[in-house]
Amino acid sequence: MSARPSRGLTTLLVFVYGLFALSATARSLVQILREFDRAPVAYTLSLVAALTYIAVTLTFALRGPRSPLALALVIVELVGVIAVGTLTLADPALFPEPTVWSDFGIGYGFVPLVLPLAALAHIARSRRRASRGQDVGPTAAEGR
Amino acid sequence: MAVLSTLVYVVGALTALLAVYYTVRDLSADLVLLGASALTLVVWAVMGGALLARDLGGGSVDDPVTLYGYLLTGLVLPLAGGWAGLWERTRWGSLVIGAAAVTEMVLMMRLPQIWAGGFA
Repeated sequence: MSARPSRGLTTLLVFVYGLFALSATARSLVQILREFDRAPVAYTLSLVAALTYIAVTLTFALRGPRSPLALALVIVELVGVIAVGTLTLADPALFPEPTVWSDFGIGYGFVPLVLPLAALAHIARSRRRASRGQDVGPTAAEGR
Repeated sequence: MAVLSTLVYVVGALTALLAVYYTVRDLSADLVLLGASALTLVVWAVMGGALLARDLGGGSVDDPVTLYGYLLTGLVLPLAGGWAGLWERTRWGSLVIGAAAVTEMVLMMRLPQIWAGGFA
């Protein structure tokens, strides 16, 4: 163990979530500012996805994977991916332009679908470790 | 341009493979892995510079916002990966470098779709 508390897998999640926060925000802002009328539902949902990614990134980075907020936000994210994914298949007319969550994130190699599941697994693992009292790193990072 | 984009793929792939090796062997990032990440940055910068030169030299980009957004993201990614590798002294820091390298290759794949003229 180094002097600085290690966050382990949380670091990777923060990176990937940060990446999606950045790309989804940039993409949705460009779409909305340029041609909102073309696909209002799709673009609004893109923005919602972007905001969710920003929130999850910040929560994982600042409060850690065991915070109640992290769990709540990841569940919101998962529900969003599944709902939008289903909606794009059920009513394609609503989506003349794809969103991050269209067809369960097919445009992004299904990472949007895998990401919340991986995050949930990580949250569950961190909580289990905490309840066993055998955590070395993440507590220190979280206690700040 | 074909040479430069191929170089991005090669260096990106090597960095990603190296990062996976470090992760599997439970190694934190050292100067070799950080150097590979830095090399990704340099190759990307040269490729982006060539695209910029082509744009300034009378090329017509259909969607400059997206193009330069991608080029900028490609510069930030290896920096973010390297930063994580420096501060997260576990295998997970190494894996972030790998994730950044993979993303760099995905960005490279998208560039010719954004501005085909730049690669013609």
